[in-house]
Amino acid sequence: MNTALTLLLLLIFPGGLFLLGSGMAYEWVDRKLVARFQNRIGPRWFQPLADMVKLLAKEEITPQGVHKGLFIALPVVALAGALTAALYVPLIGFKPSFSFPGDLVVTLYLLSMMSLCMGLAGANTVNRFSLVGATRTLTQLFSYEAPFLLAMLGPAIVTGSWQINQINAQAGNTWWFILTQPIGFLVALVGLMGKLELPPFDAPEAETEIVSGALTEYSGRGLALFRLGKDAELVIGLTLVAAFYLGGLANPLEFLLKTLGLLVVMAGLQSLFARLRIDQTVGLWWRIGALLALAQLLVLIIL
Amino acid sequence: MTKQEAFEKFIVPIGPQHPALKEPGHFEFVVDGEIVTGAAIRLGYVHRGIEKGVESRNWTQNIYMLERVCGICSHIHATAYTLGVEQLANVTVPPRAQAIRTLVSELERIHSHLLWLGVAAHEGGFDTLFMFSWRDRETVMDLLETISGNRVHYSTNILGGVKIDLDEEKITAIRKGMDFLEERTHHYLKVINTDETFLGRTRGVGTMSSQQAEELSAVGPTARASGVPRDLRIDAPYAAYPEFPVRLMLSNEGDLHARFVVRMNECLEAYRLIREILDHLPEGELTVRMPRRIPEGETISRVEAPRGELAYFIKSAGGDKPDRIKIRTPSLCNWGTITSVAVGHKLADMPMLLAGIDPCFSCNDRMVRVNRANQPQLWSWEDLRLYGIEYYR
Repeated sequence: MNTALTLLLLLIFPGGLFLLGSGMAYEWVDRKLVARFQNRIGPRWFQPLADMVKLLAKEEITPQGVHKGLFIALPVVALAGALTAALYVPLIGFKPSFSFPGDLVVTLYLLSMMSLCMGLAGANTVNRFSLVGATRTLTQLFSYEAPFLLAMLGPAIVTGSWQINQINAQAGNTWWFILTQPIGFLVALVGLMGKLELPPFDAPEAETEIVSGALTEYSGRGLALFRLGKDAELVIGLTLVAAFYLGGLANPLEFLLKTLGLLVVMAGLQSLFARLRIDQTVGLWWRIGALLALAQLLVLIIL
Repeated sequence: MTKQEAFEKFIVPIGPQHPALKEPGHFEFVVDGEIVTGAAIRLGYVHRGIEKGVESRNWTQNIYMLERVCGICSHIHATAYTLGVEQLANVTVPPRAQAIRTLVSELERIHSHLLWLGVAAHEGGFDTLFMFSWRDRETVMDLLETISGNRVHYSTNILGGVKIDLDEEKITAIRKGMDFLEERTHHYLKVINTDETFLGRTRGVGTMSSQQAEELSAVGPTARASGVPRDLRIDAPYAAYPEFPVRLMLSNEGDLHARFVVRMNECLEAYRLIREILDHLPEGELTVRMPRRIPEGETISRVEAPRGELAYFIKSAGGDKPDRIKIRTPSLCNWGTITSVAVGHKLADMPMLLAGIDPCFSCNDRMVRVNRANQPQLWSWEDLRLYGIEYYR
């Protein structure tokens, strides 16, 4: 592969600019849908971009008592993790840019970078809200990660491959996995919401308790990068779930319909519930989510 | 304080500026992980000197001054004040005026409880309920605007009566609004009682026994949710409540969920009462003549504000200005319930627990004496004046 093409893949499509743009577009759809469900007007279509431009133009304050290098590096690492993960998933229904056996595990790890970085970012500062937020972020990481992984393994085991590309291709050939593995789909979707800290799993950034959680001390660039990373993760997460459970993504139209369909369901779930306390989140995942996912996995293996 | 101690005591400060607070107040929660082991409250950020201010204004001006004690329960403050002054002047207000006063105070109660429902839901992260309840609150706000011309400070009361009258058109509008709100309130009651995530945040949280409520002298819906039958509209009826009795809304659970249920039931009771008042609205005059100078004497006027018992002490020296007015607002009585109930709960419960008493910060700010390094700092009036001159030089 020549260098120009590699650079194009990394910087423009699907890795760089494209992912950022689509991330902001999806964020807008999400915000607008939740707003409409709550009987509000919601933001204009360019609001996420405007927010981002504003944040980038703002002064970045490095608070006292932080490790400066870590403070600056963490948002970059978080965004880089999310962008790298995009290279292995079938964005827009195209073949992933890079693919190798076992890339599913790598992608899932890359997606977890975000929560890890946020936890570290919170623990790095001396702000009390950040510290409590960091504790909650990491607690939440430990609670949703295992069930989410188990839910993702279901299709992998059935198709007999650990390569996202192959699972995606095979998912389109049989019954949609949402029909054969409904529990896995549910766990994956709700796990994605936990990953993105969307309501009702937004205890780590519950504004009425701990202001903005782990990111309380971040302003300007750092905050913008974290938010961009989250937007990218939203797109990648939706792509993964749609590719695995909704019969694969073969072309751009399918991609749009399936991911946006998932987003509508997610927006509905976001506006339906009151925020869960962190102990309730952990309880929900380990007592119900993990057990259900495990049970389904056992059934799949035995069959 | 050594570093070791600092680690042992991890204090999460909420306020004076914090997204959970709509008004400034300062709360310190000592936490052990997520568990709260201690709570402290400091108020006094919005002291406005109203009690002093009323002493230099005449009896009529003070109605408008005192309405501004609170932005949500403005009418009830004016009612407490006018009832007290009328008692001092020995004036009997016409029944129609009393009925309209009662009607507006019930409308205000609905508006206050719906506002509270939204705020409390928001503190619990249930923004959908927040948005919906505030949308429906607009109905009652619009009704208040229709009958009085204002959305917040209605200025319905004047000494010796009221200054607004109800005609057929307005009565029809109120009835229509009540029908709509009744349907919505039943829906909210259903949400409060059945939504699993919401119940998870409210049931068994901040439980206060009736004995505790008595000891901490809780008032209003906070006390009634703990099974303390305390409602001035029933215990000592004022205005038109003797003619239009209300039913007491009680719950014995004492937790946050009970407070939701009690307040929503009070809304339903208010719809019933408003319809009854409209059905039997007495005919007659709206005002009687009041003397400009109020005879010497002192009185205590107590009313039931949306948040609980509101007491006014009014003293007249026989002039056209009050000699002293002392206001005891309901929120002040309820703060104690938070600090004693908070311990042992999770940090995540604190915002809802704070919101649970429906706190109103600005109406309970008193002069506070700050002990800084064990040296109390006391400023006389002259000191304050000099400080002010120096500050703005």
